[in-house]
Amino acid sequence: MKRKYIETVDKKIKAKRSFNTIVSLVIRNVRNQYRNSVLGIVWTVLNPLLFMIVISIVFSMLLKRNSADGLYFPVFILSGLTAFNLFNNSTTTALTSLVNNHGLLTKTRISPEIFPVADVLSAVVNFFFSFIAMCIVMLIFIKKEGVGFHLTMLMAFVPYLPAYILFCCGVSFILSTTYVYFRDIKHIYSVFKKLLYYLTPVFYSFSLIEGHATAKSLLMINPLYHYVTYFRSLVMGQVPSLLSHAIIYAWGIGMFLFGYVIFHFSKKKIPLYI
Amino acid sequence: MEDILTPETLSDSTNRELPLVEVRDVSMHFRMPGERIDSIKEYFIKLLKGKLHYQKLDVLDHVSFDVHRGESVGILGRNGAGKSTLLRIISGILEPTDGCVVVRGSVVPLLKLGAGFDLNATGRENIFLNGAILGRSKKEMEERYDSIVAFSELGKFMNMPLKNYSSGMLARLGFSIAVDVEPDLLIIDEILAVGDAPFRKKCAKKIASLQENGTTLLLVSHDATQVRNLCKSAIWIKDGKIRLSGEAGTVCDAYIADCSQEK
Repeated sequence: MKRKYIETVDKKIKAKRSFNTIVSLVIRNVRNQYRNSVLGIVWTVLNPLLFMIVISIVFSMLLKRNSADGLYFPVFILSGLTAFNLFNNSTTTALTSLVNNHGLLTKTRISPEIFPVADVLSAVVNFFFSFIAMCIVMLIFIKKEGVGFHLTMLMAFVPYLPAYILFCCGVSFILSTTYVYFRDIKHIYSVFKKLLYYLTPVFYSFSLIEGHATAKSLLMINPLYHYVTYFRSLVMGQVPSLLSHAIIYAWGIGMFLFGYVIFHFSKKKIPLYI
Repeated sequence: MEDILTPETLSDSTNRELPLVEVRDVSMHFRMPGERIDSIKEYFIKLLKGKLHYQKLDVLDHVSFDVHRGESVGILGRNGAGKSTLLRIISGILEPTDGCVVVRGSVVPLLKLGAGFDLNATGRENIFLNGAILGRSKKEMEERYDSIVAFSELGKFMNMPLKNYSSGMLARLGFSIAVDVEPDLLIIDEILAVGDAPFRKKCAKKIASLQENGTTLLLVSHDATQVRNLCKSAIWIKDGKIRLSGEAGTVCDAYIADCSQEK
């Protein structure tokens, strides 16, 4: 294909610029969440902590069962939510990222990829804060069944997080591009997200649906199921099987490539349609 | 045409003989639907009814020109003539439907002041954010911060959120961040009418000093006086075609004559 725009700018400089932009967008996003509040940055940990305490109280009072899969129930839910929310937060904000930044896209030389990626990375920052909050809750319930700090929890950063980030980026690429052309996707996606949520064992344990073959196979094809159960087994001190590693990396790399290809081929049209 | 764009000349960004910008036979068509279609439902209804008509809009029609290093070129034309589209193509934001653009150097487009300002953030935060968007590192921005603030004359307001700024203050801050560079090519789209008279004078002076240091200027305007003051040569675009190009005075006179005729 004949190139229509040729410039003599060093690729390295360009990459460095994109990196600078992403970093400052992430800082802005995280700051903006709690701007003008009295406690400021403290809220980043306090917010998930309070939320988790509410859930713990509600579920320990409502449910007679104190544990699921051998893990104290509040911690069971919190670990599931922490993992699920990374996907939830990143894709929800990335969906509108291109449209919300149309001023920058049509007036500056910024590459459009930067916006969804910055939103995913902002969600990763929030994931770290939720992780800290989860550790605080675990400290409170340290005596309960299956609760304890294990070295495997460090695996949440490597190898778990890179695969998950790739997956979230892939989905974000697809959603943000589609949203430029069809605004309906926002409403469709919010329903789809609910479906994904219930198909992911956040509030229930996998053993609950042991007997149902269809439910089981539905869960198995849901990538979020793999990401959530992987994270939870780390919290419980189990090293996931080699197959689990293969699955989360296959989904991560596959989704990233798929999303990137879609994004790449429509990106030149984006400033025209936005 | 092809022989100009051989790989050797392309990669040779140090060769000062070659033009800084080459615009070759650039055309731009927009596909304009009768109505904007925003939802899948609408799209399929229109498709089924056979009402999915598009109007072809030729914004630019085979435009070619060169800009050499150190030149200042004004682009004149009435509203909707395709000036801004042309600038966006040269800036690399839009891709032309046809033709080719070659840029041998760094480009800073100033198409809108304060694009990317976050109104909830303070002036200080916005200087860093905007600098990053323009491709500068945090360290670079720390070095330049004081001179940017001094140029904008907004030192007192740096810790105030931008939503409390007046529009003149916003424009001044945007301009101060944007011109604090020495690009090879500076592209300006009718943004010089910024702030009050003294500040405008300061802007003109800043641009003149950039020009002296070898920055090439590409200025878009519908105002002939501005082009006459800042540029040596000019291009007049009418209905997507180059109507006249050459010495700024001559082109401006022809443009003004044409404008008064249409009234």
